[in-house]
Amino acid sequence: MADSLVIWLQSTALSQAIVSATWIWPLAETLHFVGLALVLGVAGFFDARLMGFFRHVPVRAARELMPYALWGFALNVGTGSIFFVGHPEQYVHNLAWWLKVGCLALAGANAVVFERLVAARALPLGVGDDTPRPAKAIGAISLLAWLGVLYWGRMLPFMGDAF
Amino acid sequence: MSALLAQMEASGLATWVRESPSLWAYPTILTLHSIGLGIVVGASVIVDLRLLGRARALGSADVSGLYPIIWWAFAVNATTGALLFAADATRKSAQPIFLVKLACIAVALIATLRTRPLANGSDLRPGRGTGTLPAVLSLLGWLGAIAAGRMMAYL
Repeated sequence: MADSLVIWLQSTALSQAIVSATWIWPLAETLHFVGLALVLGVAGFFDARLMGFFRHVPVRAARELMPYALWGFALNVGTGSIFFVGHPEQYVHNLAWWLKVGCLALAGANAVVFERLVAARALPLGVGDDTPRPAKAIGAISLLAWLGVLYWGRMLPFMGDAF
Repeated sequence: MSALLAQMEASGLATWVRESPSLWAYPTILTLHSIGLGIVVGASVIVDLRLLGRARALGSADVSGLYPIIWWAFAVNATTGALLFAADATRKSAQPIFLVKLACIAVALIATLRTRPLANGSDLRPGRGTGTLPAVLSLLGWLGAIAAGRMMAYL
């Protein structure tokens, strides 16, 4: 199943265009790092406030720049898709890639739990306010999940044959 | 100079970084360099976009707590960067793009020092220095450093 997907993707004109244009890969990597910094910085700052750090900043204000994290994430889904379509064979059998995807899923599920169960209580908190324990847990899980995404992404070339 | 760089590259530490099969050598150093990048640039993006008026409530908040994080993460990247440079000193020192990267980092660092006095919420008022120029230079400097750093692997 995974192998037939790989063979089909490699046969597409899009995949061959990505691989044959020498400038696409370095450009996409650069943008992937820019997106990474936006996600880790902007979402990580909010996570840290949920954990009870940066109490000089109201919780809602700490989330104000979140659209930039979402733009960064969209940039990384786009550039990540370029990598995957270009060289699917170096990801589907790579344990580091699956762990990266797992961390992404954890970050996503954690964000849904925050919005459904914790946001209403956490967002009104102002300057100097500590955060409730569930908010601290959500913030810590999110920060660790994103660091995991970065760590396993960086491990792709070392655990498999990805570059 | 080139003799000094060759000596650096032949040192035990540089050889370990370059040749050890351990995951603690090159892979971990490179990973720390990436995490440090994410923290330095990500935290800078927050203080810079705030100065550029992209977040109204954050504008009156005190974000000076982000600066120690920027400096510590930068220290991690200066250290891991020095190790990665030592491992490959003769080749990297001959790459013009490496000098471009260092210049971009210098611009971004100086700009970040100039934004620091505007990080306390009460400092950001009409009529005072707005920090627009250092905020823009910080964003452009870090963007250039990322791009040049990536290009070092290709040029």
